[in-house]
Amino acid sequence: MVAPARAASTARSARRLNAPVQVRVEAHVDGSPRRVNRSPVAVVREEWRVVDRWWTEEPVSRRYFDVVLAGGERAVVFLDEEVGRWFSQRGT
Amino acid sequence: MIACLSIPGFELRAALRERPRLALAPAALAPEPGTEALIGSVTAAAEAAGVRPGMRLGEALATTPSLQLVDPDPAAAEEAWEGIVRALEDAGFSVDSAAPGCAYFETRGVERLYGGLEPALKRALKAAGTGWDARVGAASRKFTALAAANVARSGQALVVSDERTREFLSPLPVGLLPLEAQKQEELKELGVKRLGELAGLPGGAVAERLGPDGRRAWGLARGGSKRRVRGRRPPAELVESLEFPEAVGNELTLRRSLGVLVDRLLSRQERGGRALRKLALAGRLVGGGSWRRTITLRDATADPARLRAAIAPKLADLPAPLVMLRLEALALAESVGNQLELVRPEGDELRAHLSEGLRQVRAGTGSGSVCTVVEVAPWSRLPEQRALLVPRDD
Repeated sequence: MVAPARAASTARSARRLNAPVQVRVEAHVDGSPRRVNRSPVAVVREEWRVVDRWWTEEPVSRRYFDVVLAGGERAVVFLDEEVGRWFSQRGT
Repeated sequence: MIACLSIPGFELRAALRERPRLALAPAALAPEPGTEALIGSVTAAAEAAGVRPGMRLGEALATTPSLQLVDPDPAAAEEAWEGIVRALEDAGFSVDSAAPGCAYFETRGVERLYGGLEPALKRALKAAGTGWDARVGAASRKFTALAAANVARSGQALVVSDERTREFLSPLPVGLLPLEAQKQEELKELGVKRLGELAGLPGGAVAERLGPDGRRAWGLARGGSKRRVRGRRPPAELVESLEFPEAVGNELTLRRSLGVLVDRLLSRQERGGRALRKLALAGRLVGGGSWRRTITLRDATADPARLRAAIAPKLADLPAPLVMLRLEALALAESVGNQLELVRPEGDELRAHLSEGLRQVRAGTGSGSVCTVVEVAPWSRLPEQRALLVPRDD
């Protein structure tokens, strides 16, 4: 696997694969995404929740949406309900 | 002259560097997991409260309920000691490292450089650095130098001349001798508490009662034999490490990470094609502290599969998950290259092509741009927890 060249600065330490990346999402009243990075959402293909690690000090509560944007590309975004911010993620 | 640089309780001092406040409190080095429950070195406050090194853990806690136990940090101790030995070598001394916290060196070669014996010893103390409370003893024999270093105060250089050796050693306790605890006890029961008392006994009688070790101890009590110090050959700095974003205890993941480290170590140019003879596998534990194992190979090798097979079983001894794994080459073989093969094994050519392709990618994009995906927790519901991207520069 070939990583982007900018990764060279972290040459010697391992990194997480598919780490979430913060995105700008405008949502409908029901919480589903309307725009992702200013690109309108054409279809919400699927929606699911992940609640994990509730027994730790870092609980995870995410609402995932698998969407198709107006330009045709697919994206998976989630709302991190613990911090109230939106992220996109690959490898879901 | 032979000099001995000593740092009492070195392993405890190294472990306390992360928690300097504890150095002033009653604290002791906790027993290693899986060993007898005996405490290691203790701080001055603990000693003042009646705790002695080598005491049973229960007894020590009963004596001083406020005693704090410090987890051993062998990797930090080894690293700090290596730094001190290198500083001594940089100052011109040819050092024989006996154990972490104890090193011998000849002063003859550097006395003219520093203007005499005393200035040379002061230079050695300076090289060891402040904060370790190092002390130096010098004599014409190794054991006397060690005894002098044990008697010297922090930062002091104590020189014992040849003619004063017997007189100097005579009042010192027999506990200084490298004898098993049982034989030390036997000597005390016989009323022999000082080196002078042991040295005054007939050698044959001591050998008969205490065996060859006792005979050797008797020889040391009389000053020891005149042996030269053989300086070590400084090891090459061949170290590869991998930091994990979160603690890893899964043996499969650790084995894969080890495979990456082996590949990286073998690809280092400093190795110069030489095979590896002795390695150390170390790690930083999740709750603090460290873990370290050394592996000496029967036949030096640079075959990654053989190296992995030799080192990986050590991972089963891990007491806790790791946040960092490190592989060090401690000794390399002298010879370069192996017998060439008449027929290359199948797949070698493809691997060579792949390596060359990756080498070109690296050349274009920089070190660290080629990575291996190592699965950490493929069952996790959180995608970012499932795998790591581990850079590979081989």
